Amino acid sequence: MNKQLIGSVVVIGGGISGMLSALDLANSGYYVYLVEKGPSIGGVMAQLDKTFPTNDCAM
Amino acid sequence: MAENNIKIVSFLCNWCSYGAADLAGVSRMEYPADIRVIRIPCSGRMSPKFILSAFREGADAVWVSG
Amino acid sequence: MPLKYAINPDICLKLTKDKCGTCEEVCPANAIDYTQTEEHITINAGSIIYSPGFTPFDPSKFDNYQYANFPNVITSMEFERILSATGPTMGHVTTFPKLPLNPKKKKDKLLAQKRKDPKKIAWFQCVGSRDINKCDNPYCSSVCCMYAVKEAIIAKEHAGGDLDCSIFYMDMRTPGKEFEKYYENAKDKHGINFIRTKVHSVTENPETHDLNIRYVDDFGQIVDDTYDMIVLSVGLEISEETKALSEKLGIDLTSNGFCKTNSFEPVTSSRDGIYISGVFNNPKDIPDSVLDASAAASAAGDALSSARDTLTKSVEKIEEINVVGERPRIGAFICDCGSNIKGVVDCEAVTEYAKTLPYVEFADESMYACSQDAQSKMVDFIKEKNLNRIVIAACTPKTHEPLFQETLANSGLNKYLFEMTNIRNHNSWVHKNNPDIATQKAKDLVRMAVAKAALAEPLKEEKINVNDSVVVVGGGLAGMTSAKSLATQGYSTHIIEKNNQLGGEAHKLYKTAQGEDVQTQLNELIKEVENNDNITVHCNTTLESADGFVGNFKSTLKSDDKEFELEYGIAVLATGAKAFVPDEYEYGNDERIITSLDLDKMFKVNDTKLDTINSAVFIQCVGSRQPDRPYCSRVCCTHSIDNAIELKKRNPKMNVFIIYRDIRTYGESELLYKEARNLGVIFIRYEVDKKPEVTIKGKNLFIKVTDHVLNMPVEIKTDMLTLATAIVPRKDEKLANFFKVPLNDEGFFIEKHAKLGPAEFATSGVFLAGSGHYPKPVNEAITQGRASASRALTLLAKKDSLFTSGIIANVDPLKCSECGVCVSICPYSAPMFATEGRFEGKAEVNPVLCKGCGLCVASCRSGALHLRGFDTNQIFSQIFALGEVV
Repeated sequence: MNKQLIGSVVVIGGGISGMLSALDLANSGYYVYLVEKGPSIGGVMAQLDKTFPTNDCAM
Repeated sequence: MAENNIKIVSFLCNWCSYGAADLAGVSRMEYPADIRVIRIPCSGRMSPKFILSAFREGADAVWVSG
Repeated sequence: MPLKYAINPDICLKLTKDKCGTCEEVCPANAIDYTQTEEHITINAGSIIYSPGFTPFDPSKFDNYQYANFPNVITSMEFERILSATGPTMGHVTTFPKLPLNPKKKKDKLLAQKRKDPKKIAWFQCVGSRDINKCDNPYCSSVCCMYAVKEAIIAKEHAGGDLDCSIFYMDMRTPGKEFEKYYENAKDKHGINFIRTKVHSVTENPETHDLNIRYVDDFGQIVDDTYDMIVLSVGLEISEETKALSEKLGIDLTSNGFCKTNSFEPVTSSRDGIYISGVFNNPKDIPDSVLDASAAASAAGDALSSARDTLTKSVEKIEEINVVGERPRIGAFICDCGSNIKGVVDCEAVTEYAKTLPYVEFADESMYACSQDAQSKMVDFIKEKNLNRIVIAACTPKTHEPLFQETLANSGLNKYLFEMTNIRNHNSWVHKNNPDIATQKAKDLVRMAVAKAALAEPLKEEKINVNDSVVVVGGGLAGMTSAKSLATQGYSTHIIEKNNQLGGEAHKLYKTAQGEDVQTQLNELIKEVENNDNITVHCNTTLESADGFVGNFKSTLKSDDKEFELEYGIAVLATGAKAFVPDEYEYGNDERIITSLDLDKMFKVNDTKLDTINSAVFIQCVGSRQPDRPYCSRVCCTHSIDNAIELKKRNPKMNVFIIYRDIRTYGESELLYKEARNLGVIFIRYEVDKKPEVTIKGKNLFIKVTDHVLNMPVEIKTDMLTLATAIVPRKDEKLANFFKVPLNDEGFFIEKHAKLGPAEFATSGVFLAGSGHYPKPVNEAITQGRASASRALTLLAKKDSLFTSGIIANVDPLKCSECGVCVSICPYSAPMFATEGRFEGKAEVNPVLCKGCGLCVASCRSGALHLRGFDTNQIFSQIFALGEVV
């Protein structure tokens, strides 16, 4: 492959999954653009109270 | 402070008993409020001097757990 | 989550009508800027990860549950907010929850007067899932059973024990790790009622707005009952917007709008360079989304490995302020944790009290000390008040210490100038009925923490040298996937496999749930792994020892009686699990009684015996979900249904029965369940206390079971009985001890965090993948394999900035008497005698090896050893602070 690859990734969606993808990539040496349509990241998990099965706080 | 207040000083290992006390909270268990936790990195950190000192400061009981 | 306000441009008066503008006037930070408009930005990137998530199903269109009309019928998402301390009712469970707390409209006010604490709440499962009559969602949403159980438990916790919670369901689907126990506890410990039925209709008492429901119970009787509230467990849906964007991106979707993937590349979309994760990739819960996230990162990164580190910049380190010799100026921050602490403890009084303590310059109360705005305020306070020690009274340091320490670092303070005390888990949560005593205890704890913090010193962290080669233990699907990804990223990787070939249990499988042939793709993967220059495969090899720590492991390996050593920096444990050998249902006494894997083998070799079978029976949960193995093996329902379909396709006239307890075809596997029923597979339910009976009478094989519809025993004569056996862990205690990682009661590895750390261990540098974590199908094992690689990669990438903890022992050589007790007592061989220099012969501690346990400190007779961060004077100060009379 001769084509020059671009060392950046666009992550679409700032829920728990998108955020963690972005973190993993950024921590492994890739530049990340995290794109979220809402005014804040966090997604549905931020709206939850507790999580099963440990009843830990979702925040 | 009330006269009959019991004071228990507990030295809890960070890796097990301190975590267990956290878990007791997560599980919403209830127990008497007489204990005061001192977090130690490991029960190996315990020195007899700490126990004696706790008694000297008025502790009714000392609990080391790890 | 950043707690920042945003303007909704559709209703803002300033933007729509150029009126108002109040927010600009009142904002002290001048943060309002109406001139900002939509911008179009073009980004050039190497890969895309698409994780658009889901929309909760909107039940308004369901006329039989009257969500749109009855004020006490709400969705599970709404109930989630009601349980939350930051929600509209501040965690108080009340009827008419959809009304504002202080309603302004007259009609609402009248309704609000009827508000009461509910005594009976019902949950209706599968609203918007497993349903093609009322909606078009034939799939299972995977998470609703568990969240309903959770909501019921938490509701009882909030409202008190006499709250009656009932869950109306079709199949209880709790196939995740620790889920089955949670479900059993909900029944036995929390007294939650589980009623297996689909509620027909809901009516409302127009006066009280109580809800009457009608359903048919297990015995065929019609039951009428009244509830104060009904929670609809709404399913997960892919929004039209997501589907539209998917079309623009050019990726293929399933008929339900989820992304189409291959089981062997579970996070790769049909378009090259676009990877997917989360619920968009099949309905799933948080840990599975977290695994997807890391797996997608690994897949996206692998495709760009040659361009790694080309666009990133390193973090600017904030210069540390030297506070040595300064008088302590302590800042105390008291967290309310919403209502978690403040609901019991008088946090205001604790904050006021903190201000009176010695050296405390400043004390502040915050609703959530861990929130981003509270953190940035903390940085400001530290700078403004010139604070040099910080005390946080909040939750547990075990989860939140690193977060606050980062805040200290951001404000220029050494992160060890910090003390955290736990007024939640150890106080408000456990003394909720004694608010006065709990407040007193919180004051004591704060006083002790302040006393200790006053003696805190800035500590130095030592750099760790990282060996960047990786050992993967286990050469199954998960292990090979992990190794392949790490090798692609350029790291030398060793696979240790005890058998004579790679591939593990996958060799025994016929097809995946999506119908792909396992052997073809497995063999391809094996070939790729074997041909990869960065991977060394060690077959017939076992791990005999493991010493060291992150970045510096050393193992002895044994292969055909030959031993050799390996040094490496990272370990991935992918040792898998195995099929349980049944001890019931006459297994072993008749060759027609086989296990699921035996049947797969017959399919694989196209066994001619299959052509002679006219009747086949499957028994589910063989060895699973019973007291000695109280977990669900996750894969067996889908596996048996898949095999039943295969049998029906080979011979449509064959009678196929599946005898089950709950069918747990989560996600889109539910479609297989539907297909099986359409093909005429007969499903018969049994209860665990009434297991089916197998008898061999001469040449015939009979299975007797009580039919749940007829409520009568039926006897089936069969030519083949397949037992869906449990998946049991290897329970490798030796391996667990080598790496100091825990096993749960059943013998599965315990991950770092059930939700947020499913592919790694609490032990730094050790990662986890595959069925050793919990039973999983092919696609999930591969996802976790990739996820473990991604997590390991984040550590390997930080190779040059990895540091030890600052909490380590150090020696005052002037006091050391060279007795050697510390040298002999340390389990990590950290202290040793200096062999040269001014203090030759005195003890010294290797900071990289020291774990900071303090054993040597406690054992030192000369008082020469100190444990930084937990020094003797600090612990004494806590004890003395306790003795002080308030």
